[in-house]
Amino acid sequence: MSQPATQFDAIYYGLNSEPGKLRVAQSGMAWKGSGSDITAVPSADIKWAQWLRVARNFQLRVGVKDRKKICFDGFVREDHDKLQTLLKNYFSVALETKEVSFKGWNWGETDFQGQDLAFLVSNRVAFELPLAQVANSNIAGRTEVSLEFSNPSSKAPTKSSLDEMVEIRFHVPGAYTKPRASDAGS
Amino acid sequence: GASGKEGKGWKKFQSYKGEGALPPDVDRLRITVDRKAQTVILPIHGFAVPFHINTIKNVSKNDEGDYTYLRINFQTPGQLAGKKEDTPFENPDATFVRSISYRSPDGHRFDNISKQITELKKEANKREQQKKELAD
Repeated sequence: MSQPATQFDAIYYGLNSEPGKLRVAQSGMAWKGSGSDITAVPSADIKWAQWLRVARNFQLRVGVKDRKKICFDGFVREDHDKLQTLLKNYFSVALETKEVSFKGWNWGETDFQGQDLAFLVSNRVAFELPLAQVANSNIAGRTEVSLEFSNPSSKAPTKSSLDEMVEIRFHVPGAYTKPRASDAGS
Repeated sequence: GASGKEGKGWKKFQSYKGEGALPPDVDRLRITVDRKAQTVILPIHGFAVPFHINTIKNVSKNDEGDYTYLRINFQTPGQLAGKKEDTPFENPDATFVRSISYRSPDGHRFDNISKQITELKKEANKREQQKKELAD
């Protein structure tokens, strides 16, 4: 006999601005927004799960087939144990906690993690940049690298628009390599 | 493993001890100034990323078309070419975030944030100056 689905309210799918409901059942997980769109992940596709603090409270990050991941924001701390049990019982997956830095430092190291560039402070993640959204990158100086982001929101700007990050620059001491002989003198 | 080359004169500072101390309104995915923690919290792809005022050099703002752009410049090594470095770093060989730029259609709000950050920086500089004077 299968258990009824457990529902979590006010959960965001990815960076969507509208919350929806996430249901977790034996057969898999499904997120439904205020519209008719449903994002469903069948149980067989669920490979791993992570729990981390993000801007909109806690995030459940689920690794699915084809090395992809999907993220749900808006969980409260108290949801952790319930989720952990559900994921273990239904999908035999452990809910791993990913440690996040709140030190407020701007130095650390970059690390490529799947399709993201992670910035780590004292070995904890401070933020991640999805490389798929990098529109342009530049070596802006001897030790400077810039990443520009494309802005997917084509909607006309309104006062309620989010603050969109358009560019980040890194100071990378080891970024400069001597130009080859053919480039010298330029 | 960077302890061996830890920068001279660097004094430890930290925005928050844990996630529970983040102000609740970071969930709006907008730049937040937390004066009490002397910290600016930037929304970066869903993360709420604190930057202590000591890491911030200055902010600049400009209007372009429908948008206002805000750029936060951070303290990084080697910015004073030819001059003696007077800002100590914990690890000068690390990778540093040098600047982050945002855009918003709400120029008034960005104007306000820009002023708040500048004010916070002024206060921090003033405190630093007072400490130096007391130490002399």
